[in-house]
Amino acid sequence: MTYVIISAVVILLLAVVAITQYNGLIRLNNGVSEAFAQIEVQLRRRSDLIPNLVETVKGYATHEREALEAVVQARAAATSAQSVHDVAAADGALTNALRGLLAVAEAYPDLKASANFSQLQEELAGTENKVSFARQYYNDNVRTLNTTVQGIPGKFFAGWAKVTSREFYEIDDPAARNAPKVDFS
Amino acid sequence: MAVSFRAMQAANKRKTIVLLAAMTSLVGVVIWAVALYAGYTSVGIVPFAVGIALIGTWGSYYASDKLVLAMTGARVIDQDTAPQLFNIVHEVVIASGMPMPKIAIVEDDAPNAFATGRDPEHGVIAFTTGILRVMDREQLQGIAAHEMAHIANRDTLVSAVAATTAGVIALLSDMLFRITLFGGGRHSDDRDNGGSNPIVLIASLVVIVLAPLAASLLRASISRNRESLADATAVEFTRNPSGLRRALEELSHDNTVVAQRSTSVAHVWIESPLDSSMKNRLFATHPPLEERIATLKAIENGTYDN
Repeated sequence: MTYVIISAVVILLLAVVAITQYNGLIRLNNGVSEAFAQIEVQLRRRSDLIPNLVETVKGYATHEREALEAVVQARAAATSAQSVHDVAAADGALTNALRGLLAVAEAYPDLKASANFSQLQEELAGTENKVSFARQYYNDNVRTLNTTVQGIPGKFFAGWAKVTSREFYEIDDPAARNAPKVDFS
Repeated sequence: MAVSFRAMQAANKRKTIVLLAAMTSLVGVVIWAVALYAGYTSVGIVPFAVGIALIGTWGSYYASDKLVLAMTGARVIDQDTAPQLFNIVHEVVIASGMPMPKIAIVEDDAPNAFATGRDPEHGVIAFTTGILRVMDREQLQGIAAHEMAHIANRDTLVSAVAATTAGVIALLSDMLFRITLFGGGRHSDDRDNGGSNPIVLIASLVVIVLAPLAASLLRASISRNRESLADATAVEFTRNPSGLRRALEELSHDNTVVAQRSTSVAHVWIESPLDSSMKNRLFATHPPLEERIATLKAIENGTYDN
């Protein structure tokens, strides 16, 4: 009788631990997916700003075909990206192209003075910060998930919960990976 | 740098626990002193004190968003009124993973800001017109991150708990004083009050008289501690200590203070409207700006050391 009670208690405790671990892993995994969705939302917002930006710059800086082309192409490439790695690569390329275009815009005082451009600049600065904070938030979540999945006891439950380590969001631009500080002015 | 703001957060969180534990023990000591001084039957006043303190603070905690907005005259605004401010706060929201708070403006030339709300879903961040005028984008981001950190760290709840505990102590002390005054107090037939050792009686009286003072010291200390924690958490959000550091420097160069100087809402502002004139570090609700600036500089240079 005593053995029955003891084994019942042990089984119950194990079940509680297993359920807590399982739910914890699912929660972390969903947190990562949600954080990635946030990156995509912000990337789409940035993408939506580009046609307007290109039109505005074109109006003043007709000779900067190269920088404009680079932005348009990077934007087109970004739309087809799916995996974390591809999205990050396309994001990095577009970030660089945009930076190039805004550097070029520096040479056109009329452009810089236009109300439309300064409004666009604020929108771009804001979106660029949001993209970079979304990356940071995603990577923080991935770090927590991976630490749990690779550590004990998470390791023993990860297979059962079908949760695996997730990929960090790394873009090729060393400057953008550091402090999210964008100054387009 | 990555390690040091985490170390600073952990240290501050530990300190909050120690301070709240000290306050709880203080309540215990006061109850004990009451029992020693006025007899064990008088411990019956404890539930009343707790009840009254809870009624007094729970309402102001629960309705903190509406109450503080009304007391400071802050006006909730929408995105079209201040698109840049909304962008800045939204950036910090994304960095923190918190829900979007309401944003409010206080018509006041003094640069200042505060956050309130009982939980992140009811969060409000208010900026004075003065702060929007003097600070650049990066500084405002630091301020927004500090305020978002208060919301994320549930500081309205922490300060409500501290206020309730301090309230219980003040009420107990006050009630006992009245009981003694109006002919209650010790009766010769109280045989359960630890004898009539005069030293015990005097000691317990001293505890009862000094406890409210100790409680308000602890409460101020908790408030300062939560400010430091909010600075550290702000750095976690933005990973950019220089934004907040430059913002605090801007505040320290500025001599104007917000017009309303009501002590009941003094603790919510990022820069206290009272402390500079009080010149009293023990009762201050905020650590000195110079100290906060120095800590952020240390984080920037990677020299922060606990």
